Amino acid sequence: MERRGEAIDEEQGLIGRRPGSGAAGVAEVTPVRRTWPTVDGPHGLSEDESHAYARSYFYWGFALLPFLWAVNCCYFWPVLRKSHPSPRVRPYVMRSAIGFTIFAVVLATWSLTFIIGGERLFGPIWNDLVMYNLADKLGLTGWT
Amino acid sequence: MARENPNPNPTVLESLGEEIIRIVAPVSACMLLVVLLVTALSSDGGGGRGFSSIVTIAYSEDASDSIWDKLKDALGYSLVFVVLITLLTFLLVLLFYLRCTRFLKSYMAFSSFVVLGFLGGEVLLLLISRFYLLIDVVTFSLLLFNFSVVGVMAVFLSKVPILVNQGYLVIIGVLVAYWFTLLPEWTTWALLIAMSLYDLAAVLLPVGPLKLLVELAISRDEELPALVYEARPVEQHRPVVGRRLWRERRDLVINSSSNLIGTEAGGMTSQHTSVVVAEEGPSVSTVTDPLLQHQPGMDRGEDAEGIGLGSSGAIKLGLGDFIFYSVLVGRAALYDFMTVYACYLAIMAGLGVTLLLLAVYRKALPALPVSIALGILFYLLTRASLEMFIVQCSTNLLMF
Repeated sequence: MERRGEAIDEEQGLIGRRPGSGAAGVAEVTPVRRTWPTVDGPHGLSEDESHAYARSYFYWGFALLPFLWAVNCCYFWPVLRKSHPSPRVRPYVMRSAIGFTIFAVVLATWSLTFIIGGERLFGPIWNDLVMYNLADKLGLTGWT
Repeated sequence: MARENPNPNPTVLESLGEEIIRIVAPVSACMLLVVLLVTALSSDGGGGRGFSSIVTIAYSEDASDSIWDKLKDALGYSLVFVVLITLLTFLLVLLFYLRCTRFLKSYMAFSSFVVLGFLGGEVLLLLISRFYLLIDVVTFSLLLFNFSVVGVMAVFLSKVPILVNQGYLVIIGVLVAYWFTLLPEWTTWALLIAMSLYDLAAVLLPVGPLKLLVELAISRDEELPALVYEARPVEQHRPVVGRRLWRERRDLVINSSSNLIGTEAGGMTSQHTSVVVAEEGPSVSTVTDPLLQHQPGMDRGEDAEGIGLGSSGAIKLGLGDFIFYSVLVGRAALYDFMTVYACYLAIMAGLGVTLLLLAVYRKALPALPVSIALGILFYLLTRASLEMFIVQCSTNLLMF
């Protein structure tokens, strides 16, 4: 009866008093709230792994990969929302969130300028930058 | 703590139903996306001329060919494909036997990157050209690069949220299935039939490469580096919070026993519960339950076919199954939506039958044959009889 319970204990550390089996266990459990640093809950990472992953995702995000910052925020959502206190993971997740917000704002600004401004703003170079013209010119869709 | 016990035994509908939903939902999502892509992007509604020039080196299909010629070409091409797949799978078995896991992993990461980056980029470009979406090259390349790299990491290299992993697997399935629907029509059907026969042979025959792979993986107690979709165990939605902790644990065990069995046989449940109790291990993955088997496989050496049970009791379905189901439905979509509905229902029925057989036999099973057979049967029946019936009724304003 203890398989899943033991697995959780092994992954996350001791939760609290382990209940006995059967009906006698009902009265023995102390109400202990247990949260996990990852959004996957008990199927996710442990504290140490979370720290390692949060750090590596944060640093790799600088290699023109802001999606990794988004993945960081999504993955450690409980840490971001402060429902799971984790002083080691939180700085990385916060910085990833800020980084992703800045990237999103910059990209949205550029993209909207491109779409709304169009040829009026950019001149003839707009036709060279827009994707469907570029695809036709380079023959990227020609093979299908 | 005196406390009443609301429902210690979840009903079969809850546990089994949720388990099935978690495998049916991504398969349906994959099929839906392929149907949408096919209907949005199909121009000549038949076969791609350009595509056949790349892939079908020796064979090409023409609308003016006679039926016998088309059949010959189709059979020839699908035979070539199946032979290629068999060779690749044996190569995979050999590499796995020689423990070249790093090479296998990097090869699969590379091929996922190719699929996501190039095929994904191709599909996106087709969509952009078709709908004249205003995207500039900088945004497009940045987003595509991010998408592919994160996809490769999510599927193979590192840990990401489970939903992200599953989403990327579905996307890879959609892209490869769309690519396959570009084949000429008769070739597609011949390919589907050939792949189901191959799957049947490779998984069930003692000399089959997939069976060898499974046995190797089990004897070494390793995971194969293959593209396999694993549905989350039913326990996921239950928050394991203290007040209900003891009940959750009991429920978890009951759920995992019913996962592994899959049907409501009560006697088997209690027998299995005792098996679980006897094997206490320090962690879930080392519980060597004889019912838990992997079912990995091939398809260009990277996708997996067949259905099996994961190490946490969740149902695992190989990505090759996603792909071929979606190919069948996508090809049906190229004719009409009527066939899409019929084939979708047939495939779901086949999947249900396969899950039932999985529960009964409790070992890795090929997931393709039953569904593809039913799907093709329903496609032919729909085209032959249902279509005429519905069209007559509609034009005479009798129904629909």
